[in-house]
Amino acid sequence: MAKGKFAVLLTAVMFFATVGTVSAVDEIRVGTIGPTTGWATIFGEGALQGVKLALAERDYKFNGIPIKLFSEDTKADVEVMVTKLGSLKNRDKVHFIIGPSLGHEGMAAVDWGARNPDTPMLIGYSAPEDITMRKATYSVVRPGWTGAQVIFNFGQYCAKDLGYKKIIIVGQDYSYPWDQAAGFIRGFLENGGEEVLRIWHPVEAVDFSSIMARLASLSGEYDAVLNNSGGAQVVAFFKQWKQFGLDKKYPQILGQANVPIVSMLPELGDQALGVYSSLHYYDGNPSKANQKFREDFKKAYGHYPDVIAMQGYDAMRVAFKAMEALNGKVDDPKAFVEAVRKVKMSNAESPRGPFYFDSFGNPIQNIYIKKVVKKDGKLMNIAVKTYENVSQFGPYANMAQKYMAGPATTRDYPPGKKAEYFAEIEKWFGKDYVKNLKKNGGWK
Amino acid sequence: MNGSDPRLIKPVLASVLTVLLLSLPWLTSDYFVMMTIRIMYFGLLTMSLCYLAGELGLVSLMQAAFFGIAGYFVAILQTRYSLPFPIPPLAGIGVAVLAAGLFGLLAIKAKGVYFLMLTLVLGQLVWALASQWASMTKGDSGITGIYAPVLFGFSAEKSKTVFYFFQLFAFSGVVWFLAALKRSPFGLMLRGVRDSETRMAMLGYPVMLLRYLAFIFAALVAAVGGVFFAYFTGLINPHSVSLTANVEALMASILGGINTLFGAVLGTGILKTLDVVLSGVTERYVLVMGVMFLVIIMFAPKGIAGSARQIWEAYKGKMLSFLALGNKTAKP
Repeated sequence: MAKGKFAVLLTAVMFFATVGTVSAVDEIRVGTIGPTTGWATIFGEGALQGVKLALAERDYKFNGIPIKLFSEDTKADVEVMVTKLGSLKNRDKVHFIIGPSLGHEGMAAVDWGARNPDTPMLIGYSAPEDITMRKATYSVVRPGWTGAQVIFNFGQYCAKDLGYKKIIIVGQDYSYPWDQAAGFIRGFLENGGEEVLRIWHPVEAVDFSSIMARLASLSGEYDAVLNNSGGAQVVAFFKQWKQFGLDKKYPQILGQANVPIVSMLPELGDQALGVYSSLHYYDGNPSKANQKFREDFKKAYGHYPDVIAMQGYDAMRVAFKAMEALNGKVDDPKAFVEAVRKVKMSNAESPRGPFYFDSFGNPIQNIYIKKVVKKDGKLMNIAVKTYENVSQFGPYANMAQKYMAGPATTRDYPPGKKAEYFAEIEKWFGKDYVKNLKKNGGWK
Repeated sequence: MNGSDPRLIKPVLASVLTVLLLSLPWLTSDYFVMMTIRIMYFGLLTMSLCYLAGELGLVSLMQAAFFGIAGYFVAILQTRYSLPFPIPPLAGIGVAVLAAGLFGLLAIKAKGVYFLMLTLVLGQLVWALASQWASMTKGDSGITGIYAPVLFGFSAEKSKTVFYFFQLFAFSGVVWFLAALKRSPFGLMLRGVRDSETRMAMLGYPVMLLRYLAFIFAALVAAVGGVFFAYFTGLINPHSVSLTANVEALMASILGGINTLFGAVLGTGILKTLDVVLSGVTERYVLVMGVMFLVIIMFAPKGIAGSARQIWEAYKGKMLSFLALGNKTAKP
């Protein structure tokens, strides 16, 4: 008797369960993933705040359909991340995932994406180029950036506009700074620079006295120093830079993309004045979209956003645009990814300016050469030059395959001396490329 | 016969456990199977640590390095040199054992805090290699695209059930091996060394050799875990050979009970499950786990398995008679 009742109940439950999945979406389920505890909290938390702001703008609804957010913490550990991606997919049954934010997380996420093509993913702040190059997979789109994409033109700018010939890069010894250095070297050496010397220090180092002494002794030979670190290391570097009197020996510090970001400026103070860097977003952008984003963000969280939050915000807004194109039918992953890849954001829609996706799923966007200035008593980045519509391949957009066939970046590849570097690109890009480069005196 | 005969408890428990483990994929969800797989490979790492701690009285900070070396070799041999299935895992375990043979020569003479420091240094060495030798290990981005093998026509990559049985087979093998080792003359000699090294040396036992072999056996256990880690997650990066990974295993072993193999698995299970379950409930889950850890250290220094055993020993008589009573009343 009891068994019979149970069977009826079970059938009923199963019946309603199937009916539930057949009918139209009655709830849009969005997953986010990123480090929200541990050393990398600033990256995960920032992106998540951006996503939440974009959701709050629409009251967590799309055309009346409620949106539910599931956020998971990776602790910056990829094994944890892969497990939690599984939780989001199988337990929470999310329609798509926004995240993650760190380099190694992104590489693992795209690998997961290739094995789970039915769960669309919009990468957050994660910047290794292979996510949308050698490992690119259809269901993974990145409304963000690659490390090299934003710095190719900075190398060019330093060689052409600032007229530097020899530069020293000091940075943390791991993949992300290596990629930054590589992108910079390509832009710098191909446009008239002569040498880039790389000095690597342990990731956690905060005492740079030996490096400072070396920089001081090299100051006669080199034109400028580029700081290629992040977080506390940048603050320590800038402080010791002044203590050792290097501000009198070099014109100013150059920074990698992440150096003078908004969260860093108050910590650096006036030492940051005049720092040049490059990125696909700058906080001083006077566009309406950016001003609104900044003020809304400040109202919600009490401080101004930086590029990390901007990217979470943009990712969610790209998803909204895709939903609009599909009329809210997010339960067809293939159609959703297709719609995401077709999204074009205008200057009025994104705080960073206009962008659209290339065939690999990475934005083609403006790259700004930024300079830190003081405006109304506050430090901010303004754009001194804009390079429009830069792809992740930078100047190599029409020879993407050759670029991807080349060796991977390491701590000392590509070579930093002009002659060795040119021998190397001749091998991978061909003689004609080098000939053209010499004829035009750099990129066109 | 009386159902509560104490001699019967162990075999009954063991067969219930066996049946449960064998039927797990059909009893539970895919998600549960995934968690069990994770607990097994991390459990192997914890067990390797517990084995050294329990049998030698030494806490090692480089077991994650052996775990990672095996994982890295699987990754490199498979993705870079495309070697067919049994070679990468066997080579991985082999290299990890060789590495243990080499590092063991340096580490095994030290004791107490010196052993701790030496293994810390050697472990960091492996970590630095994984992070810096980018042309081989791809640096901090890690190696992706590792696929689990096809076994007798069944793909362990596509089916979690196949992977589960593949791993369960290896896992049971290792557990059996460690349990046998503990009971063997070798295990007894080792315990003698742990309790009084000078006496064992005086009696003519090769103390150093015993310790050295135990070190290598422990590395072997961690290496098997590393192979399954790489296969299941499909990737490996320097985090898996880092100090953090090793400390997590240490925490699991303290939680579960550092002196027993069962404690190692129990501790890993609790830690890894809480990690996923609690993080879904509250953003402050690390705090909750920290408090829980504190409570365990203060009130159950032998870990959960150790305390459970103490309670069992204390109340064994009462419980058995209670069970017997229950059986009698149940009879018509």
